[in-house]
Amino acid sequence: MSSMDPVKEWLNKHLFSEVPISIAVIDRDFHIVKANDAFEKTFGEWRNRKCYDVYKDRDTRCERCNAEVAFEDGIARINEEVGYNTKGVFTRYIKHTSPVRGENGDIPYLIEMSLDITELEKMRKEYQLLFDLVPCSILVINRDFQIVRFNKRAGDLLGDISGKYCFEMLKGKEHRCVQCTARHTFSDGKIHTGHHTWTSSDHKEIHSLVTTVPLPSEDHQVDLVMEMAVDVSETLKLEEELKIAYTFMEAMIATSMDGIIALDKEGTVTIFNRAARKIFNSPRHNIITKSDLENLLPPGFIQQASMGPAHLYIPEIEITTLDGEKKFVRLIGVRIGTADHYLGMAVTIQDLQVIKKLEHEKLEAERLAAVGQTVAGLAHGVKNLITALEGALYMLNTGITKGRIDRVTKGMDMLDRNINRVSMFVKTFLDFSKGREIRAKLNNPIDIANEVVELYKQKAKESGITLTHEHPDDLKPAPIDYERMHECLTNLVGNAIDACRVSEGGGTHVKIRTFEKDDAIVYEVIDDGVGMDYEVKRKVFTSFFTTKGLGGTGLGLLMTKKNVQEHGGTIHLESEPGKGTTFRITLPRNQLPQLMDNNDAQQK
Amino acid sequence: MPNKNKILIVDDELDVLDYLSAVFEDDGYEIITATGGKEAFELARTHRPDLITMDITMPDQTGAKTFLDLKNDPALKQIPVIVITATVNSEQSFRDLLDGIPGPEGFIKKPVNTGELINLARKIVAA
Repeated sequence: MSSMDPVKEWLNKHLFSEVPISIAVIDRDFHIVKANDAFEKTFGEWRNRKCYDVYKDRDTRCERCNAEVAFEDGIARINEEVGYNTKGVFTRYIKHTSPVRGENGDIPYLIEMSLDITELEKMRKEYQLLFDLVPCSILVINRDFQIVRFNKRAGDLLGDISGKYCFEMLKGKEHRCVQCTARHTFSDGKIHTGHHTWTSSDHKEIHSLVTTVPLPSEDHQVDLVMEMAVDVSETLKLEEELKIAYTFMEAMIATSMDGIIALDKEGTVTIFNRAARKIFNSPRHNIITKSDLENLLPPGFIQQASMGPAHLYIPEIEITTLDGEKKFVRLIGVRIGTADHYLGMAVTIQDLQVIKKLEHEKLEAERLAAVGQTVAGLAHGVKNLITALEGALYMLNTGITKGRIDRVTKGMDMLDRNINRVSMFVKTFLDFSKGREIRAKLNNPIDIANEVVELYKQKAKESGITLTHEHPDDLKPAPIDYERMHECLTNLVGNAIDACRVSEGGGTHVKIRTFEKDDAIVYEVIDDGVGMDYEVKRKVFTSFFTTKGLGGTGLGLLMTKKNVQEHGGTIHLESEPGKGTTFRITLPRNQLPQLMDNNDAQQK
Repeated sequence: MPNKNKILIVDDELDVLDYLSAVFEDDGYEIITATGGKEAFELARTHRPDLITMDITMPDQTGAKTFLDLKNDPALKQIPVIVITATVNSEQSFRDLLDGIPGPEGFIKKPVNTGELINLARKIVAA
């Protein structure tokens, strides 16, 4: 017993003052008559003050006063209260109210024991916020795989899943999954991760990286497992897209007609594709280094291109291949990286010989196609000619047998006209099929048009038509086949004059405009003649189409188009019936043929 | 024996027009001629010929268009038409354009066999 005495003594003397719970005694007038140190520390000076003044900083009693009720019914109660501490800060506390009964059963005092839970409550709130807003879905499941808790994010994603089976809600299954990450954690109490495909409440597939964490109970059994799932759908999608882009890029590089070379920031050659090997005649397994490249490419090219910022473009330059062959190539060097972050550089190389050969082959194929088309058209033209010649013979025959001189005369006329037509046909067709090479020399585009105007001036005047030429003072000379372009303009101007002559309203003006626009030479032949409807416009560039009856061969515009195309240009027309027609020849300077002298020097 | 039938001959080549006119004149037809599709349609309305021959390739509008105009006109659609053309493969491409409307009553290729043409014309007009 005596060993208990110091304890008893301490309980009697010190417990009240040292217990870390605020304790106050109030009387029926709500005066605080006694309080311990903890109370004073929390709520401040209490002597001669009323409880509502101390706890809540009020002048009058609280409207719903628990103390008053406790004085009445004598029952102990616990309430959660709010008030202000010594520093005037809002405080949450749990108050235990115990009535103290007097000898005659009355209740003179109440003991109020208050536990400050402000911090606890704050932490609980913060924890809940963290739980809800952490950027992953969190589920807590029990050993039956029922969801007992889940955060807001999981709820947003999966709907109300409280109490449901996880395999049912996450995967739409009736039974537990074979590969269950949570089960591993339940059995060994350790953290596990796994990749799972969930289905959201709006039926979208979600790829989740799931981490299962044991939540041990007091007896160290794992009764609950917390699943934390990070949505990796976007990451997977990006990875997949990156893979596709990379595969695409690899295929493009491997099959490109242009040589492609890339260096990383250390200067290691990371790409040297098949076309590049072919251009430099490099054997298949030969490894190309940066210093090899510096020898193969023009001096300083790599250094200058890797400085950036713009592309370094060399339209034509001679390089020497690994085995000493000389080749003309086009080079484009480009710096790769951001303004202050250098990642490497890339070079594309085009073998100009190959390109020129292809261009030539294309032109030749176009020419052959045009010849083929023309031959097919020729059959049509010849049949018409034969019909007309047969007609002439019929007229002559029946004229003679019936003694009708008018038919004989007509027959002779027809014969004469159509024999002329045959020779005209043959001449034009021969011109067309000759396919002579373009002979381009430096010519002033204005001079060509001027000469055509001179040629037609008289004819136009006789028909009451003014023929003018509008042009700038000077244009830079260009490689043009003078004879061919002259032929084109002659044809267009001749057509324009005819269009004016047959026009009912009577066209009176034909104008050539020669000018330069967007680095292209443009010729326009404008008339205010008869114009064309849709049907005619559609067919003017086809062989043997003519609106001039016996007057035309139907080959003029076809020839014109062919000549323009062989100059790398295009021809278009705008026309409206009764208003007039504009033909426009556009010759981009960078597509004009090579100068003949160059051609001769290289090819012969 | 003159048959007193009226024929409208359509061709943009004047020589061919003269030739065909002479051929049909010799078989007793009354001749009307046109050099274009639009003119042909107008003449068909005013003269109501018993037969029309026409070319496919004409400057103002195609033979197919003219043919369709004729066949879509209730007053003119019973007039038989012989198409005369020099274009290769023209018969099939002409029929492709008709869009379900029955094709022309006759199809003759240039150069023209006059005996064949006259026989075909007689047969069609008699039918």
